[in-house]
Amino acid sequence: MRSRGYGLPAAALLCWAAGAWAGASYRAPFPPPSEMRAPLDGAGGDMLALALGARRAFADLWFVRLLQYYGRREVSEVSDQPGHETHRHRVDEHGHVHCDHGANYGKGDYPRFLPMARHVLEVDPSFTAACLYGAGSLAFNMERPAEAEELLNYGLKYSPKEWKYLTVLAAIGYSKAQDPAAVAEAIKPLLREPDCPVMLKQLAAFLNKRAGNYAAAAAIYADILATSRDEFYLRNAERELRKLARGPGARP
Amino acid sequence: MRKYAALVWSVALNSFLEGARSRFFTMFAVFAFTAVYASVLAGVMAVDQEERLLGDFGLLLTELTTLAYLLFNASSSLLREAETKTIYLVFSRPVPRWAYLAGKLAGALLTGAMMLLLMGAIHLSLLYFRGFGLPPFYGWALAGIFLKLCVIVSFAFFVSLFSTSAVSTLVISAIMWTLGHFAAEARFLAEEAAGFKGLLLGLLINLVPNLQLFNARDAAGAAGALPASVLLPAAAWTLACYLAGLWLLSRKEF
Repeated sequence: MRSRGYGLPAAALLCWAAGAWAGASYRAPFPPPSEMRAPLDGAGGDMLALALGARRAFADLWFVRLLQYYGRREVSEVSDQPGHETHRHRVDEHGHVHCDHGANYGKGDYPRFLPMARHVLEVDPSFTAACLYGAGSLAFNMERPAEAEELLNYGLKYSPKEWKYLTVLAAIGYSKAQDPAAVAEAIKPLLREPDCPVMLKQLAAFLNKRAGNYAAAAAIYADILATSRDEFYLRNAERELRKLARGPGARP
Repeated sequence: MRKYAALVWSVALNSFLEGARSRFFTMFAVFAFTAVYASVLAGVMAVDQEERLLGDFGLLLTELTTLAYLLFNASSSLLREAETKTIYLVFSRPVPRWAYLAGKLAGALLTGAMMLLLMGAIHLSLLYFRGFGLPPFYGWALAGIFLKLCVIVSFAFFVSLFSTSAVSTLVISAIMWTLGHFAAEARFLAEEAAGFKGLLLGLLINLVPNLQLFNARDAAGAAGALPASVLLPAAAWTLACYLAGLWLLSRKEF
């Protein structure tokens, strides 16, 4: 076959046009580029994420960077007692020292936390666990509920049916109203979800313990032990379970 | 008809075996090593998101490794056969050019499918040994990667028929692959741009295959990650490249 005519290129053009027509109605489930507020040191990564069609993988990297950023200790929390090196002890109005075992964990300013957490969602808005982790840390650890709500509302923009975001929004509302028992109750349905951040489980266990629901607290600590891979939470859960086994109110 | 199918199959099988004998297994070794190394890092860094990170990076590595190999294969295959005069032997027999090109393309895609399946198996076994199950979107992600490869490999064959070297074919195909992933963003920019600029950009977008259509690996969180309707653009773009390549091949003096 020695074709000198233009039948083949014409057929090729027609096929190409058919492909373009068939794919024209597609709209990506991702935020438009105008919404991506990449930090200067991350613009190259974002370009790669788009060029390689690898938003999920690069959102994972951003999440790891967020974890590393939040993992840096801003508040000095030290104690000289063995087993308590990682946290500070609380002193009440009578001068008694109380150990909350890491209740202060995660406290600090972390000014880049919200932009970084939001950026994970800008790259991959379906990363539910990152949004829950970010919102939970902002609302309950850093006591910045307005920023947590901003993050959740951004997540809801692309996942409007995500009930987990609504649940955390409700919990933040109760937290603002100083109702810890209601916060614990609100986040209860989340705890069964596989993508529930361990930080929220820890919070629920802590609030249940404070409210006197020791059985519920023990069940959550046991769940943390069974499902988490985070050393800090694992050690804390073991310690809390031992304390609860000795009896409520037992000193460490 | 059966005779032609047998001819296409012979060329495809020969092309597949040739590919399998060359750098095939080196690629697997590289992939397996990188995946294991990444899993160790992921375990340390991602803590409770290790499963997601391992799944995403494994699929990305699978796609990039297969793409690299197939582009290399597609860009050098025809050129090498012309240089070594093997192509004269083929065309001295009653093998039509369309059957030869179809066989070459089918052989490359067969190699790609085999690589995807084997690397998928390595990846899943790695996930299994780390204590994780099968990601729910895994099959769709692999199918989407294969559709992307169909489009870009046929494009590479087309480019290899007019480019002067394998490197230029590789570069042009890689640029097209990158542009294909930017298609959704480019469409957004075209819609935002007013007047003639928007119109021009809107027309230019149609010259690039929208590879995001098949990117189920990335849209795993979105509902309906890979609808059946994406088969039509995949088939149309692959066929378009094949026909354009056939036109160029038919004008060559062998």
